[in-house]
Amino acid sequence: MTIQSSRERHSFWHAIAARIDLPIVTAFACIIVLLLVGSLYSENFLSPEYLLQQLKVASFLGVIATGMMLIILLGHIDLSVPWLLTTGAMMASAATAYGTAGAILAIPFGVACGFVMGLISGIGVAYLRIPAMIVTLAMNAIAQGLMVAFTGGASPADSASPAMRYLATGELIFGIPNAVLVWAVVGGVAVFVLSRTGFGRSVYAIGNREGAAYLSGVPTQRILMFAFAISGALAALGGVLLAGYAGKAAQSMGDVYLLPAIASVVLGGTSILGGRGNYLGTVAGVILITLLQSILSVMQIAEFGRQIIYGVVIVAMLLLYGREKFTR
Amino acid sequence: MGETPLFRMEGISKRYGGVHALENASLTVHAGAVHAILGENGAGKSTLIKIMSGVVAPNEGRMFLEGEEVSFADPAAANRAGIVCIFQELSLIPDLSVADNIIVSNPPTRFGLIDHRAQRRMAEEALARAGGEDIHPMAMVRDLPLSRQQIVEIAKALARKPRLLILDEATSALTASDVTRVFEVIKRLRDEGLALLYISHRMHEIAELADECTVFRNGHNVESYQQGAKTDNEVVEMMIGREYSHVFPAKPTPPPADKPPVLELKNLSWTDRLRDISFGVRPGEVVGLGGLDGQGQRELLLAMFGVLRSVEGEIVVDGRKRTIGSPREAKSKDIGMALIPEDRKTEGLMLPMSVRDNLSFAALDRLTRFGVVDRSTESADIERMMKLLAVRSDGTAIPVAALSGGNQQKVVIAKWLMISPRIILLNDPTRGIDVGTKQELYQLLRRLADDGAAIILYSTDYDELIGCCDRVLVMYDGAIHAELVGDEITEHALVGSALNIDSAQSDTAFASRAQ
Repeated sequence: MTIQSSRERHSFWHAIAARIDLPIVTAFACIIVLLLVGSLYSENFLSPEYLLQQLKVASFLGVIATGMMLIILLGHIDLSVPWLLTTGAMMASAATAYGTAGAILAIPFGVACGFVMGLISGIGVAYLRIPAMIVTLAMNAIAQGLMVAFTGGASPADSASPAMRYLATGELIFGIPNAVLVWAVVGGVAVFVLSRTGFGRSVYAIGNREGAAYLSGVPTQRILMFAFAISGALAALGGVLLAGYAGKAAQSMGDVYLLPAIASVVLGGTSILGGRGNYLGTVAGVILITLLQSILSVMQIAEFGRQIIYGVVIVAMLLLYGREKFTR
Repeated sequence: MGETPLFRMEGISKRYGGVHALENASLTVHAGAVHAILGENGAGKSTLIKIMSGVVAPNEGRMFLEGEEVSFADPAAANRAGIVCIFQELSLIPDLSVADNIIVSNPPTRFGLIDHRAQRRMAEEALARAGGEDIHPMAMVRDLPLSRQQIVEIAKALARKPRLLILDEATSALTASDVTRVFEVIKRLRDEGLALLYISHRMHEIAELADECTVFRNGHNVESYQQGAKTDNEVVEMMIGREYSHVFPAKPTPPPADKPPVLELKNLSWTDRLRDISFGVRPGEVVGLGGLDGQGQRELLLAMFGVLRSVEGEIVVDGRKRTIGSPREAKSKDIGMALIPEDRKTEGLMLPMSVRDNLSFAALDRLTRFGVVDRSTESADIERMMKLLAVRSDGTAIPVAALSGGNQQKVVIAKWLMISPRIILLNDPTRGIDVGTKQELYQLLRRLADDGAAIILYSTDYDELIGCCDRVLVMYDGAIHAELVGDEITEHALVGSALNIDSAQSDTAFASRAQ
């Protein structure tokens, strides 16, 4: 019996060690460096209030990046994030206008809109075999067209439902913003699904070798399709949260989330070619990106400068990870 | 022939890692003659050609062109010396014109730009020599039928002004009437004084074309002879005559003939690659698929496993007609079919993933409850499989890529044994693995059959078919050409029927050789 348990403990530590890989360590190290650099500018940087505020801002990106990670693990890409996010925000806000029932159903309705549009992208990728880059870009344009038609080109008049506001800005547990709890739940489910379910295993397998996964009798097409639907739903959920945070939906609220979503997944060590990656890394990537954005604005660097630095940091970190892969 | 041969090579050896692809091989080629090279799969023919055409460099040995020693750094050097090779697969670019394809390297230029008029003239000249006057040099290659593409391929080779032209299985993709046209061209080129080296598995083609033949076996030239000096049977004996030391488990008495087959195929056809295939497999039987490479064996396995679209004919499992539309249906409980694919690195395994994830992948739906993996059942099953197949691995958490080839193959097989299959299809499972592991696998196969599985084994290794199988179906050109049962499964009969030679004749010849 003791041999058995010591062996189990051994494999437990083995599993922990296997989970800690260079990109994740690098990402967390960068987070600490950023915090230290930030604290040189302002003492507030290490205060709990500031950190919680950052975590809250990060949780919007975190929810969106979770869907993106799923797609990147499969070896594809989802470029429809910006307008699926906006669709989720606008549809939820619009539903709020239809009385009490509308207000109650606002969140599920917004998320469902994202799910359906993601599902259509998924059908295009999985069954029609159109490259994901094209399908999701087209879906992004379609969603944009639909939303512009819906609002008549102006900013939508409807505002977020109380539930949306509560989800984004309230505090269920003292001191911890609800948005962070939402991200924690989404993240927890993601970790469980990726590591413990057949669906999760299949996602990694398809990302590594779709042919081998298919020959193993896995319904690869169905999994691809649903992954895109989930990504769409999570983008829409991100939009719902953002609308709750801002009070209402806005036309181009999603545009600033595409690159950060991809960047945080990839900075967290998920292979852009698919098949390899860990949710913990995505958490690190999301926090890293959020802090980077925050510090650049605290340092009062002009917008153009921020964009340049932001891009350079992403490329630099990817180069770092690329090196690591070659040396192995 | 008294004059200096055009090309001569001697003492040529080539090793890949520890494997001898060629060992002390020699060959002499004369101008104005067609020289045929014969040998089994893996006898070293393609390595020989690659060395002659400068694709790979030999480890040892010397080559002489008209008595002068030469060596080729790259294919271009061999081309300049006048040795040009037409490889097995067409190397044309479908979206370029015929003329662009023929003069694809070193096009004529004027002021640094391609001189299209000169290029077209050169292409027309080459086409005329290759017997393709009717092909328009500006036509797109992809619009041409396959036989015409082959002519373009020859024209492309001729445009490089070869003195020695190598044709590697140049006819394998062609139909009989196309072959006749290509043959006319080859004969005319011979009469023009070219030396031609012709590699083919088709004995009757060699009988029609060749002036001289050389048989290769195990990386060495066994014998050269004038065409017609040997009978087909003598040739086959030269190709296979080697000792084998593999240990195969003893074959039990085959199951009684009245036992119903677990799997039965009726007139299975798929495009023009599979034609009217019917056979049955009973539980406890190991049925081999033989024949030369690429006669439809792989397609047959894929068709049974539900991978190919629009397969005609019937698949009957347990006496019930089934349509198997995907691997997922094939592995379902009431069919219970498993396919060990050909290429373990791309089709069998997810290399960067752990041994554990790979092992449980095919059986995932049996190991999950409401979509969640039952980890204790999973661990127990994996433990059992690692033991059953004696997989040598440092735990199950390491990437499967870290295992040796033989152990990787064990993982592929174990992964499928996890679903307790009743019908096991194997596509050349012992390719590239060591002899020790091979023996373990042979014994495993027999044990699985004894436990009631029906096994269909495709192998390019004749020994394996002889040692493992109760029955062998020899395929030729997408159809079952011969069925060998029990003692009829001899190397001679296998090679004979694979090459489409009359097998009754081969049997008597083999009997005299064997004892």
